[in-house]
Amino acid sequence: MFTNSVGVDWKSKLWKLSVILIALIATVAILFPYVYILLSSFKPAGDVVSTSPTIWPKEFSLDNYIDMWESMPIGKYLANSLVAAVFSTIICVVLGSMASYAISRTIGSKLSYLFLVLVLCLKMLPLTSVAVPVYKIVQNLGLYDMKVTLVVVYAAINMPFVLWMMVSFFSSIPADLDEAAFMDGATPFQTFRKIILPVCAPGIVSTGIFTLLLAWNDFLFALLLTSSNAKTVPVAISEFLTSYNLDLGPMTSAAVLFSLPVIIISFFVQRYFVSGMMAGSVKE
Amino acid sequence: MNLLKKKDVMYFFLPAAIFMFLFLLYPLLMLVVDSFFQTNNSNAKSFVGLDNYFQAFTSKTFIKVSVNTLIYVVVAVSLELFFGLALAIVFSHQFKGANILRTLCLSPLMIAPLVAGLIWKFMLSDQFGIVNVLLDKSGLISSTNSILWLADERFALISTIIADVWLTTPFMMLMLFAGIQGIPNSLYEAASIEGASRMQIIFKIIIPSIKPVIISALVIRVIDAARSFDIIWAMTQGGPNFSSELLSVHIYKMLQRYGDVGYASSVAVLFIIVLILITLISMKKIWIFDKKSN
Repeated sequence: MFTNSVGVDWKSKLWKLSVILIALIATVAILFPYVYILLSSFKPAGDVVSTSPTIWPKEFSLDNYIDMWESMPIGKYLANSLVAAVFSTIICVVLGSMASYAISRTIGSKLSYLFLVLVLCLKMLPLTSVAVPVYKIVQNLGLYDMKVTLVVVYAAINMPFVLWMMVSFFSSIPADLDEAAFMDGATPFQTFRKIILPVCAPGIVSTGIFTLLLAWNDFLFALLLTSSNAKTVPVAISEFLTSYNLDLGPMTSAAVLFSLPVIIISFFVQRYFVSGMMAGSVKE
Repeated sequence: MNLLKKKDVMYFFLPAAIFMFLFLLYPLLMLVVDSFFQTNNSNAKSFVGLDNYFQAFTSKTFIKVSVNTLIYVVVAVSLELFFGLALAIVFSHQFKGANILRTLCLSPLMIAPLVAGLIWKFMLSDQFGIVNVLLDKSGLISSTNSILWLADERFALISTIIADVWLTTPFMMLMLFAGIQGIPNSLYEAASIEGASRMQIIFKIIIPSIKPVIISALVIRVIDAARSFDIIWAMTQGGPNFSSELLSVHIYKMLQRYGDVGYASSVAVLFIIVLILITLISMKKIWIFDKKSN
């Protein structure tokens, strides 16, 4: 934009300079909170709760990481988070792609219209309102504080989002492909698995990444449905800061340990991330 | 030609539907039923009709919490739109390092809302927070505890809004940026031949061209902001004195902490009706499946 429209003169130089300046200021402002927590996590334990905090640590130490390691089984919680996120995402992607295929191939019919409106409404549901009824159901089934419960519940609550995104991917694939497969005598399921799925792979990958992130970052359901055995990292982190105790040091190190890997990985998969966000939300 | 028979559609859709029924639709039905009942001390339920709804509408807390939610949504989403649009336009310029800076700016997208809330709680703390130290050093406030961000009723809601804006401006930026990428170059060329200034290009070409994207981004953000829970729970849990309590937090507290199932359910049902109305009204704007294949 603006590149070939105006020649180099005093005014356009000034414009360009201010654009770069705004970009730099914005980047620093956006990164600051995270960089600050990262630096704080390496401060000596006492300096995190200093009443005159500095941005740069006076000396680097691993106190907070050791504290966190000793105060809770962080490895177990990380494993719980990972199990819940990965397995619920697999369920979502497998069942979600089947359902989206069916919806996308019957668009225009009353049935698929009904499904889509239902999916959209469920996607907009405020989760706090269903969380407590879900908690009661889970208790009645005797599934409280089990890993499998989180897997199943995450798969269910993220399903509308998965369907919404995937239907838009599937409906961009021309139906000629299906027709050709049908002519060759393929069953609907064969057509779906052998023809459509490979074509939609990039879309499925971006949906999967998003779903993984949603489940990994969830707090509310883990808070309600787990206590010790299946507890995930966000719940554990939140326990450092309650009305009874204020363990800021270990909180910073746990927060870094929980989100830094995700941020680093996301830089590598950003291509999928960006295309997924567009497809899921922007009207073409 | 309709390739899938109705039976096939059901087979493909059913497994996903069972999950959604068990943990979304069925809890929702429970909620609706509960909203018509009152649970007394001996755990017996009695049908009370619309009493819970009347109780909600006459409750000062409910009104207060609804107004909070409205303020939160309007202020947070407007700020996000403003910053998101400005950054999207800035990053549409070509300059050295633009791609790297844009990628860095997207990083809050990956952070859990709960963690974001805790980070800001830490930074805004009146005892150990860096924000007041920086404000004090730059001379904007007279001492490091002259603003109690989280403990003062006047500032608690603003503090949670700050965290929300930080967390989701990148989402707004990304969507609008993609929208701007879709504007054909010929429009810019025509404008520069006409002698349009850069400001005119922004207001007369870019913003009108990406209007549909802006609207769908707004709808998505309005609904997500209205439902915010984690950030508020991490920072203030709705306090002090309900000053930062949003509907989602209120519903959760009434159900989980105070066990007032009837009242909480009726508030939840009202809230859901409003959200679904917003969704359905704006559906035409975010509906991506217009009569494609018939």
